[in-house]
Amino acid sequence: MSRPKSSPAASRLRRASRRHEWLLLGILAAEVLVFSLAGRNFLTADNIANLVRHSTEIGLLALVMLPVILTGGIDLSVGSLLGLCAVVFGSIWRDWGWPWPLAAGGALVVGALGGGFNASLISGLRLPPLIVTLATYSLFRGLAEALTRGTDAFTRFPESFLFLGSGRVGGIPVQAWILGGAAMLLWLSVHRMTWGRSWRAIGFSPEGALHAGLPVSRRVVTTYVVAGLAAGVAALTYAARLGTAKADAGTGYELAAITAVVLGGASIFGGTGTVAGTLLGVAIIAVLTNGLGRLPATLSIAGELSGLCTGLVLLAALAGSAFSDWWAGRSSRCRGATPGDGTAPTPT
Amino acid sequence: MAVTAPGFFEPQPLLSRLAAAAPRLVVACGMAVVMLTRQIDISVGSLFAWCSVVAGLLAGARPSPPLALAAAVALGAAGGVINGALVAGLRLPAIVVTLATLVTWREALRLYRQGVFVNLPEGLQWFGLPMRTGQLLVCAIALVVLCGLALVLRQLAIGRQVYAVGADAEAARLAGLRPRRVTFGAFVLLGALTGLAAVLNLVQSPQVDPATGRLLELEVIAAAVVGGVAVSGGRGSLPGVFSGFLLLTCISPALTYLGVKPYWDKAIQGLLILAAVAAEGIRRRKEPRG
Repeated sequence: MSRPKSSPAASRLRRASRRHEWLLLGILAAEVLVFSLAGRNFLTADNIANLVRHSTEIGLLALVMLPVILTGGIDLSVGSLLGLCAVVFGSIWRDWGWPWPLAAGGALVVGALGGGFNASLISGLRLPPLIVTLATYSLFRGLAEALTRGTDAFTRFPESFLFLGSGRVGGIPVQAWILGGAAMLLWLSVHRMTWGRSWRAIGFSPEGALHAGLPVSRRVVTTYVVAGLAAGVAALTYAARLGTAKADAGTGYELAAITAVVLGGASIFGGTGTVAGTLLGVAIIAVLTNGLGRLPATLSIAGELSGLCTGLVLLAALAGSAFSDWWAGRSSRCRGATPGDGTAPTPT
Repeated sequence: MAVTAPGFFEPQPLLSRLAAAAPRLVVACGMAVVMLTRQIDISVGSLFAWCSVVAGLLAGARPSPPLALAAAVALGAAGGVINGALVAGLRLPAIVVTLATLVTWREALRLYRQGVFVNLPEGLQWFGLPMRTGQLLVCAIALVVLCGLALVLRQLAIGRQVYAVGADAEAARLAGLRPRRVTFGAFVLLGALTGLAAVLNLVQSPQVDPATGRLLELEVIAAAVVGGVAVSGGRGSLPGVFSGFLLLTCISPALTYLGVKPYWDKAIQGLLILAAVAAEGIRRRKEPRG
């Protein structure tokens, strides 16, 4: 599969990431096998539609977390921004009396602005992303609570809006189209376009990317704005799925999204990671959560057990990647080659 | 502040407030040490909950409070050993490791307790002392931890090693230090202090909520950052952390006195952290590049 022009280090890296994806696919297949044998009504069309519906928000956030992590950043504020967008949507629709498509547009604008706010602090003032988004994590959630005075909830959305959460187009849930579209766009930009490749270049080496003439800060800004925008979209599907918009919408989603991305093989230091891996990470967590709820033995404790298993799977994936790095380093030393650090330039 | 809201400085509510916040200060001290070595630990909240629950159960089963309290500290240190081994031993990124332990411990506790509260025996509250003395004792323990660690960091060789490792681990290694041991030690210290904080929190209430300690990691990281500890390691001091802690602890009651509604709390905390890091960023920019 490797193209003749690519350098040995790059193709080795690509092979390594492919190996990781096969491993994830194996885990996913094992999960599906176990749950369809032991669980009740696991492999039915209804349940699969249900599974997709419930994983849309985290899937969207994980997909847009990938570019952020590729550049070596992190965004802890997406869950809170989801809450803020949901509340803004609800208050524009109910309190201002605007039709819901306009309110939805407002929520998307707020999402993009929130992402832009993160980006301006991270890129403009050169502050660490971890701390900036930790602060906006608190800020966005706080604004959502202040807007609703802590308790107010928006409900009774019109039928045409709820269609977004429970309708089907062509027999497939609306959310599957949204998630699929987002995955397609992300895949195109990360793996097939130069600006997506520049995200990875920035993650490998920000200085190097700068000297190579890439507009580093502009590229970094796009990742956070896209993340904010996706938080807005996720807020809409969340509100439509549950039929309410409250200030606590999306609590903890940022951790789930980061977990999925890291499970998908992306390095938290930036530079490596694939869209396919991220989607597999999301799917593994979603199937685990859904499947455990269908095992007769674990019905009552499914929620707790699936959370615990997610944590353990993440720990195992981390230890596994550390082990395979160590193994790769050892075998390349045995052959007397210099250990590839993956920073070899790709010829144009 | 003193002019507009004299009620704020009355000793009794102030003491209660400080006693309630003292556990956070203890954890913030440990977090500052970990951040000085250029790492971070976001799992402290889950560990805090485990320590509280286990100490509560032990104290209830066998009425020997000192043993239960020691168990909490030991359990915290054990949690720190796991984080430290994964970060320093396997060289995994701290943010991901502690994210994994954050989720794992929290969910394991939920599975184990199913949300049931732990009732504490009578004699445990305020260590069996009258409330006022107990509050003073809690604050005093937190202050002793703060001052002790501050002295160690400033005066002792091991404290200087923490700064050296955080500023440049490779340079520290070439200078003959053991960066991985220092990092490991910092995580264990933070774990033990988390256990101690759980105890200090435990004695203030008649029950333990197994969901306790949620968002603790954010509060203590915020206190450290507002107090001037750099996330890039090697810079910051414990007196700074103390001032950051005081600022964050006093801001919400102070604003209530000034007539701001309490649901603005979180937004204002976020703005404060942003202001603190932005000030730091601007200051660093003005410095001549070396």
